[in-house]
Order: sequence, then C-alpha cells, then structure tokens
Amino acid sequence: MNVAFINPFITAGVEVIKQIVGGEVEQGQLSIRTAIFTTQQVSIVVGVSGPVQGQVIYGLSQVTATKIASAMMGIQQVEFDEMAISAVSELGNMISGNAVMLLSESGFVCDITPPTMVRGMNVEIATQAPSLLVPLYTKCGKVDITVALSAVPSPVTA
Amino acid sequence: MAKILIADDAMFMRASIKKILTEGGHEVVGEAEDGQDAVEKYAVLAPDLVMLDITMPRMDGLAALAAIVNANASAKVIMCSALGQEQKVKEAIGTGARDYVVKPFTPQKLLDAVNRALAMP
Ligand SMILES: [Mg+2]
Repeated sequence: MNVAFINPFITAGVEVIKQIVGGEVEQGQLSIRTAIFTTQQVSIVVGVSGPVQGQVIYGLSQVTATKIASAMMGIQQVEFDEMAISAVSELGNMISGNAVMLLSESGFVCDITPPTMVRGMNVEIATQAPSLLVPLYTKCGKVDITVALSAVPSPVTA
Repeated sequence: MAKILIADDAMFMRASIKKILTEGGHEVVGEAEDGQDAVEKYAVLAPDLVMLDITMPRMDGLAALAAIVNANASAKVIMCSALGQEQKVKEAIGTGARDYVVKPFTPQKLLDAVNRALAMP
C-alpha cells in the first residue's frame, strides 16, 4: 500500500480527536498488517471509494470507546449504549471525511460510506489491499487506525 | 425562532445539533435518519430550514438536497458533513444549498450559518 494514503488519516485523526475529545494525541509506531482480525473490542469500519478505494478501520477497547463517547457527549457515560455507539461511529465518520478532504488535495477525490460497527475480538474483516496500522494515543486510551487502501488504475485513454 | 428539520444518520449528531439549535432559540420540528426520510419529512413538516448530512444510507444528502430544492426552489438547506472537499461543497452550493458546515464544528459556527441562511430572502 502507498504510505501516502495513511498520512491523511493520521493527520485527520489527531486533529479531529483533539477537537471533539480533547487532550493531546500522540502518534505511535506504524506497522504492516497482513490479515485483518479485530484485535480490539470495538471496530468502526468505513469504506472509501473513488480513485483510491478500500477500508479504514478504527479499533478501540470498549473502555476507551465509552470514555471517548463521554467526552463527545459532555456527560459521564457509564454504559456503552446506543448513543455511545453512535458517537464513536460518528468519530470514525468525521476522521474519514476530514481525511478524504486531505486526499482530495493530492488529486484523489474520494467518497466514504456510512460507518458500520463491528463488536467482538478476532472477527475477520476482509480487505482487498494490504494494510498499515498506526496507533493514536489519546487521553481516553488507544485508537488503532488501520488503513487498507489502494489506488485504482486509471483507464487508459489512447 | 425558526422551525428546523435535522437529517443525519448518526443519532449522536442529531442530538448534538438539536441541543445547539434549541439553546440558540430555534425549534427542531423533526429528525430524519437518511436522505429519503429527509425528503419525506420536508414535504410533511415544511420547515424553515434543513440541516442536512451527506454521508447517509439509502439516499445521501446531495440527492436529498436535489429532491428538496426540486420540490421547493426557495428551500433553505445547510449541508453539515464530515466531507469538506471542494468538489462536494461546489456540488452542494450549485444544487442550491445555502451554506456548508464541515464536521467537527463549534456551536457558534453552526448557529452563525443557521442565522445567515434564515436572514436570506
Ligand atoms: Mg452521516
């Protein structure tokens, strides 16, 4: 996978989390993933389509997800209920939307699908492209961003 | 005080926007979960303004915008989306959206956009 495709997601991830969750956000070590198994309790999957396509998966523990939802809602959320799920899913939507805005500045004008949440560990998520993982360390805990995107070859115009 | 319809597939966003608008002195008359729902509720509720998300299942916000503007050429619609690329903004404004707010936003930014759109003819 083109490493350039993950950078917009890191930048957008840091900025969006700082803005709506608050606190500092630090980027961890980038690593390559061969197969996608959810290693976290909560995964938010967003599809990307256009000249760059594939999936982006945001993985976090349920404790982190609940803390993030609390911060977004401005109330102390104890349970990971429907509203908390919606908040964390929307975080995935916002990061992805802001990231594809950055991608469009490099000439890749893409669209995203509504986020879907997968719960449970060791669930296999099929991705077409090899993927890169980068953890973001937030005040609520770790958010793993897995980016499995590839450029679609442009049609030959002779 | 304006009557506003909120369309967003995320329950969290509908609740957040509703709180901001209500505290800003407006009345939220309805909530829609996707574009199709927004078009149908627009026809029934005839709100003064619509806050319309783009990335939604079933029918996206740009298709819903076209349908709403087609039904009422003077409809006031503000797009409210995480997608902020120039191409989307141009398409939305070209179709008839009065403003475009990129998520995440501050309450003030949202209210300013709403009040500007309401002041338009
Ligand atoms: Mg949405």
